[in-house]
Amino acid sequence: MAGEAIELFIHSQGAKPKVAVAAPHEVLRDVLVRAEVITEGQEELLVFVGEWEEALAEPDEVENGEDAHVPVDLSLTIEALELHRHRHVHVHKCRRVAVEVHFNGGTKRHRFSPATTIAVVTQWARKKFKLDPAAGAEYVLHICDTTAQPRSSEHLGELVKPPVCAICFKLVKEITPQG
Amino acid sequence: MDKPDQRLFEADLASAEFRAGALKVYWGLAGTDVLLKQPEWPLRILWVQAAPRADAPDRFYLQLDLEGYRTISPTGTFWDPSTGSSLVHDKRPKGKKDSRCTKVFRTDWEGGRAFYHPYDRLAAAGHPNWVTEQPSLIWDSTHTIVDYLEEIHSLLNSGDYLGL
Repeated sequence: MAGEAIELFIHSQGAKPKVAVAAPHEVLRDVLVRAEVITEGQEELLVFVGEWEEALAEPDEVENGEDAHVPVDLSLTIEALELHRHRHVHVHKCRRVAVEVHFNGGTKRHRFSPATTIAVVTQWARKKFKLDPAAGAEYVLHICDTTAQPRSSEHLGELVKPPVCAICFKLVKEITPQG
Repeated sequence: MDKPDQRLFEADLASAEFRAGALKVYWGLAGTDVLLKQPEWPLRILWVQAAPRADAPDRFYLQLDLEGYRTISPTGTFWDPSTGSSLVHDKRPKGKKDSRCTKVFRTDWEGGRAFYHPYDRLAAAGHPNWVTEQPSLIWDSTHTIVDYLEEIHSLLNSGDYLGL
């Protein structure tokens, strides 16, 4: 079926995301090969679509929770995968990224989909540590043992390097410029 | 022929990070609905979406000087499409007392001609102490216009943003 080309954002481990344009009838595998994200016949990679926010609905009492994001079948078309709605495609070796967040002497853990943004992880952490929503807005994530503060739109899958499918953050109060 | 800094900026406008934010209506390059054409390089007019607040616009325009992009960080402030000049202070976004929002958008420093943020060229130049105090927000050539816009967008969508 003919249709308008769709702009897609392809994310892969340890790399900057790419823009790809695909027709609705195209098979996802062909789009990823054309974008040089996978090679012909490469099967071991997991592919997720969308930006996953499941952790935000996790009840407060749940510890060490895990997302249920299921990888997609690469032989499906862009249209069948509803990529006009999801837009984001994540190609990864990690099925989950084990995240631990440290704050005020405590630690919270969750196994997130690699298609989760830092914005969602930050919101999840503020909720888990019961920060007041008004005051909590100034708390951001720093990668442990670094001064790196990932952008809120970055995805976990871009920050980890398999075979290590884990990352550690500190929840810190963003400094107000002074002086 | 475009200059290298201009070519790099235009490549970043086509990047997945910028395009994904644009599709979410978080930001964009100002279009012909508000100006006939973009000013001469190194100036560019962009807009950033703001959270709904009573009597406040749903987006603010910025005029940024991108000379030397990305080696040198942008500098700029809010811009008024109706006058084609800097936005008067009364029409600028305000934040809760002593919040980051209020500090970054302050108008009592340099006449409000730049954002009071480590990413802003003018502000960074006058605050060498920020390098040690806020090392995560020091601009280098790996940063892009998306880093700058995300900071402004985050402030305009925080609980500390009050409107005008």
